[in-house]
Amino acid sequence: MSETLLIAEQSEIIRKGLFQITHDLNVFSSIKELACPSGIKDVIIRYKPSMLIVNPSFINAQGLSELKELTNGEMPVIAIVYALFDDDYIGLFDDVVMVGDTRQKIRKKITELLNKTLEKDNRKPEDALSSRELDVLKLLVRGNSNKEISDKLFISTHTVISHRKNITQKLNIKSVAGLTVYAILNQIISMDDVS
Amino acid sequence: MTEIIVSAKTKLADIIMQDKRALVLFPRFGIELGVGNRSVKQECINKGIDTDFFLLMVNVFLNKNYFPGGKLKKLDVDMLLRYLENSHQYYLEEKIPYLEQLIEEFKKRVDHPATKQLERFFMQYITEVKEHLAYEDQTAFPYVAALSEQVKSSKADISDIDYHIGVFEERHDNIEEKLSDLKALLIQHFPPHNDRYIRIRLLNELMDFEEDLINHARIEDKVLIPIVEQLEKKIG
Repeated sequence: MSETLLIAEQSEIIRKGLFQITHDLNVFSSIKELACPSGIKDVIIRYKPSMLIVNPSFINAQGLSELKELTNGEMPVIAIVYALFDDDYIGLFDDVVMVGDTRQKIRKKITELLNKTLEKDNRKPEDALSSRELDVLKLLVRGNSNKEISDKLFISTHTVISHRKNITQKLNIKSVAGLTVYAILNQIISMDDVS
Repeated sequence: MTEIIVSAKTKLADIIMQDKRALVLFPRFGIELGVGNRSVKQECINKGIDTDFFLLMVNVFLNKNYFPGGKLKKLDVDMLLRYLENSHQYYLEEKIPYLEQLIEEFKKRVDHPATKQLERFFMQYITEVKEHLAYEDQTAFPYVAALSEQVKSSKADISDIDYHIGVFEERHDNIEEKLSDLKALLIQHFPPHNDRYIRIRLLNELMDFEEDLINHARIEDKVLIPIVEQLEKKIG
């Protein structure tokens, strides 16, 4: 595991408290601390943390969306809240930790959020075929040529070919016969469709 | 696996101990296990095998980057063809029947509608491999034999054979593609199933076959084709 957590908070008591609680979790191989708002972007670029816990006063709504963009939305951001902030602003964070939260509650929030991100990761480019790719696959394993597929789906053969390339990349299967086995395995078509 | 360069003094047992791929290679020269402490040279003399030829084949087979270079000129074409035919025989009589047996067992153990389609795909693959081997045995190799005969004696005439070795190259691609698909299906796509290791055995055997075929193809590309090209040039 090479998960890094970044804690950006000016109060040392709170920062160290969070450090202790998250350290004991054994999920993060490294925990970085930042005591002032300046340079937060650079630190994120440098360490690519998989999660950020931040004092909302360090950034603003725009800054938050910039950070999200910087990390392709792959870094969940938790607000550590012990002062009054605008509800709409706080709502933009992935989760909120209060100073009064128990250790268990904070841990639960962190692990849940981390799991959600990892799941999203797993499903991203690899596994699932898009609905258009499924359409192409169905026609392909029923014996249609690229030209026939392009006529039936009203797309260019060039697009058909590029869908086929993506299918092969996602599944690691090139031949039509191999894709047929895949399609039956995943109930995309039935045995009757091919015999 | 570290690659070893075999010399005339190397002990046969050491070759196998260091690289298990030699196990399937030795029978192709008529060498059986029970090799004692005999060296390559000793065994070659015992069995009437040309030592240089043996060394060339073993080194090309075991080492991806071994380049035969000038050793090709002296090479006996008939010996090479016999070696290649022996390999084909091993695939047809030993390897493929065993793979078929494993697929059959997989079908019995893994009760899934897709298993039947996998078997069908596998049989398609096997048919292609067999066709390819038959093509080499019946078309390519006899051509090479006739060519070598003509160069040797200038008696045989190949002028009426409409063929040349350039056709031979580029024919391995489809076969490799299908094998890779079979692997992906078994590794990634068939759902987990308590099949008592049959899937692992099948994969193991498929990957072994794949590697053997790749090494075999390398001998054809690096040894057979250059030799035939030389022969073709001599005839003009």
